[in-house]
Amino acid sequence: MMENMIFYVIAGITVASALMALTVRNLFHCALFLAMAMFGISGVFLYLNSDFLASVQVLIYVGAVTVIIIFGISLTRNMMDERSKAMNHQFLFSIVVALLLSAVIIAAIQESPFVGAEHPMSLMLSSTTGDASQQLAANIASPDHPFQGGVAYLAGALLRPENGFAFAFEFVSILLLSALVGAIVIARKDPA
Amino acid sequence: MNNIPLVHFLYLAGILFGIGMFGVLARKNAISVLMGIELMLNAVNINFLAFARYWNWNSLTGPVFVVFVITIAAAEAAVALAIIISIYRHLRTANVDDAHYLRG
Repeated sequence: MMENMIFYVIAGITVASALMALTVRNLFHCALFLAMAMFGISGVFLYLNSDFLASVQVLIYVGAVTVIIIFGISLTRNMMDERSKAMNHQFLFSIVVALLLSAVIIAAIQESPFVGAEHPMSLMLSSTTGDASQQLAANIASPDHPFQGGVAYLAGALLRPENGFAFAFEFVSILLLSALVGAIVIARKDPA
Repeated sequence: MNNIPLVHFLYLAGILFGIGMFGVLARKNAISVLMGIELMLNAVNINFLAFARYWNWNSLTGPVFVVFVITIAAAEAAVALAIIISIYRHLRTANVDDAHYLRG
């Protein structure tokens, strides 16, 4: 029960700091609230048995993306006078759109068959029938069902050729290289 | 083992997506718009991991997709900031409403 409570506290902190990150006027405070929201999201990842991805989240979002955003804020700061408004003229319209979007998503979730899913593999259980279903249920019922989601399994899933992600993994490194070169070329002082 | 219902993760992701959408639509500064996009991508990551765990917690397709989303989001953030700095150098502003050369 206690650990469930901690999840809801983390979720509340995440939502609150995400809201602050996008409504506070001072951009530096925005970036710090964004870092806090990313910390909260990495806590949510821990509740989803993804310890490696939680640490990756902290490293990349809190460590890299927030720092690069703060660099961007510092480089473009002197035009941000303190009197100007943070929101544009679509402010009210945006509130309506965002609230409607969240409401539609939540309503769709409530109508979906995911409502009953309270423990791991319950979705798979509801989609199988007959003998396989009973076998799976017996498997789930055992309290020490083996969990194999560690780093080594993730690496295997990414890099084993039979899983089909190895090419995408190599391709994404080319994407990172071209993003690096592209960012340098775009931000260069005098394009040749 | 915790027994949080799957839908609570989905609600959290939906709310975060809505907040990110609000930031993208309403903020004046381009860097704030970028923050909203990052928040939306993270909401999607929560969904990927939640479904991966509640489908079969030894299934790794969801976490693999999260790795790709994080990578591409980092690349996107770097390029977006380069573009913002370039716009700032030309127009002396980081306001998305002032950069309207391509408006018809």
